Amino acid sequence: MLSPPKGKFRSLDTFNESLAVGYKLLPFRFIRLDSNRYVLTNEVGEFIVVDDNTLRELVSKVLQPNSDIYNDLKAKHFLFDDDSNVALDLLSLKVRSKYEQLSQFTGLHLFVVTLRCDHSCPYCQVSRQSDDRLAFDMSKETAAKGLELTFKSPSPNIKIEFQGGEPLLNFELIKWIVIEAERMNEVHKRDLQFVITTNLSQINDEILEFARQHGILFSTSLDGPEYIHKANRPRPGDDSYTRTISGINRIRESIGPDSVSALMTTTEKSLGSVKEIIDEYVQQGFHHIFLRPLSPYGFAIKTRWYERYDVDRWLDFYFEGLDYILKLNKDGLPFVEIYASIILNKMFSPFGTTYVDLMSPAGHGIAVIAFNYDGEVYASDESRMLAEMGDKTFRLGNIHKNTYEEMMLSDTLLDALEQSITESVPSCNDCAFQPYCGSDPTFHYATQKDVVGHKAFSAFCRRNMAIMRRLVTLLTDDADARRILMSWVRI
Amino acid sequence: MKANELQFESSSECQLSFDKNVYSLAAIKKAAYKFAAEFATNISDKEKIEVKITFNSDIKKEEYPKIVQGFQHEVLDQDLREQIAKETGPIRNVILAEAFSKTALLTEE
Repeated sequence: MLSPPKGKFRSLDTFNESLAVGYKLLPFRFIRLDSNRYVLTNEVGEFIVVDDNTLRELVSKVLQPNSDIYNDLKAKHFLFDDDSNVALDLLSLKVRSKYEQLSQFTGLHLFVVTLRCDHSCPYCQVSRQSDDRLAFDMSKETAAKGLELTFKSPSPNIKIEFQGGEPLLNFELIKWIVIEAERMNEVHKRDLQFVITTNLSQINDEILEFARQHGILFSTSLDGPEYIHKANRPRPGDDSYTRTISGINRIRESIGPDSVSALMTTTEKSLGSVKEIIDEYVQQGFHHIFLRPLSPYGFAIKTRWYERYDVDRWLDFYFEGLDYILKLNKDGLPFVEIYASIILNKMFSPFGTTYVDLMSPAGHGIAVIAFNYDGEVYASDESRMLAEMGDKTFRLGNIHKNTYEEMMLSDTLLDALEQSITESVPSCNDCAFQPYCGSDPTFHYATQKDVVGHKAFSAFCRRNMAIMRRLVTLLTDDADARRILMSWVRI
Repeated sequence: MKANELQFESSSECQLSFDKNVYSLAAIKKAAYKFAAEFATNISDKEKIEVKITFNSDIKKEEYPKIVQGFQHEVLDQDLREQIAKETGPIRNVILAEAFSKTALLTEE
């Protein structure tokens, strides 16, 4: 029998000696997954599911060294022994990667080029104005100031998103901003992207050609099959669905198949129809869907559409949809639910997210900033929605009156950020799902008049806990579902 | 005391007591905070830690025992979390310090 050259390997006794000394715990959080299991997550979101006894044995230091569960917990950085001191360095490195994006600062810059809109959606969260009121258009002077501020961000990736109202009603200003931003970027050399968030009713050849020349992407709303879309998104002529589908097809033909994405919003009318909504997305050639609840802003509050279903009814809708999407995948059709995908990426990717709702600290100002049509600057899209309801709590300043430093170092922003760090929020700080979650200060302010919010009463918390529990359960108990869900992770 | 053996003093109240040698006041307060949507608490630190529970009006009476049981489990969990935090707190600080020591996020005073 060959024996290894002397000095190449340590003897087996060496390992047994280190095990005999015992192990130490690494920081972790836990929460009950179901009646007899817990989910444990460590500082960077690696997770493991164990039963009640195993958790207590782990903490009491009586786990059998070299048992399967011991080795799993060691490999996933829940414990370390004399044989794995490198665990601390590895964990530090992973923590650094998770938070790296914070140092890049604001990437997404929203330009609300007009509040005018040709639709009259009862759930409109931005409180649009009728399309003949030019007073609600952004001026060129305001846009120019907005661009100045945009390039003050140190982020290497600058995304300019045109919002409304219906931004294509002020297409002349969009053209000016795009050309001016490209000119400024010759000096700044950032990775510059443009997105127009539009209902597509105004799309025409001129817009398509300009978008093709400048690599502009489109994001639209598609709420489901025609009867749901038209009910949710009425416009004169009753043709909102036809115009949206026609616009999607024209963009794909003119610019490319991936140049347009769509978002849906759940209304009471959607609740029993999640399969039909998903089928509509499949039929229209989309490979993913973002199942989104209504947010508590704008006309959604005024018309009381926001109150028409609670979080538990929305979760039933969401889980029925998720199950159906998993079935489509099992049957051979690759299709992704975006919200689950964002959470899965937080679970398995070494990097953090730029999805504002699930950031800690919140993405307010530091991931996204909104320049309103009137020159007012807000910490997020939702903050300006709140402002249109008369509450300017998250107003950072005015483009014409305040400097970048005054706005980015304002108490309004810094206080909200400080209070939104989930590591120090009551109930979040010891929640196992904290590494995957965020704090959404605007939502909690809008619903509880407190940027932190009491999580026992928070629909945000209830929704995310339920989805995260379901995802962990599927990943643990269902091999087929795990294979599909893992394919949604972009490492 | 098992939750199903609890005596509800009135239609919506019950009293629990916890041994101070076993449970900390902080663990009980944290658990109570999480159950604020189900009941209000009045906690007093005497020979034992006494917790008077008053269920919120929208909670059905048949749900009381299960909710109290959930609260008792949560107190145990909070106690375990305290043990873990006590042991791993210094390590957590080392990890975070190491993670950010080489970034531009920290500046010298």
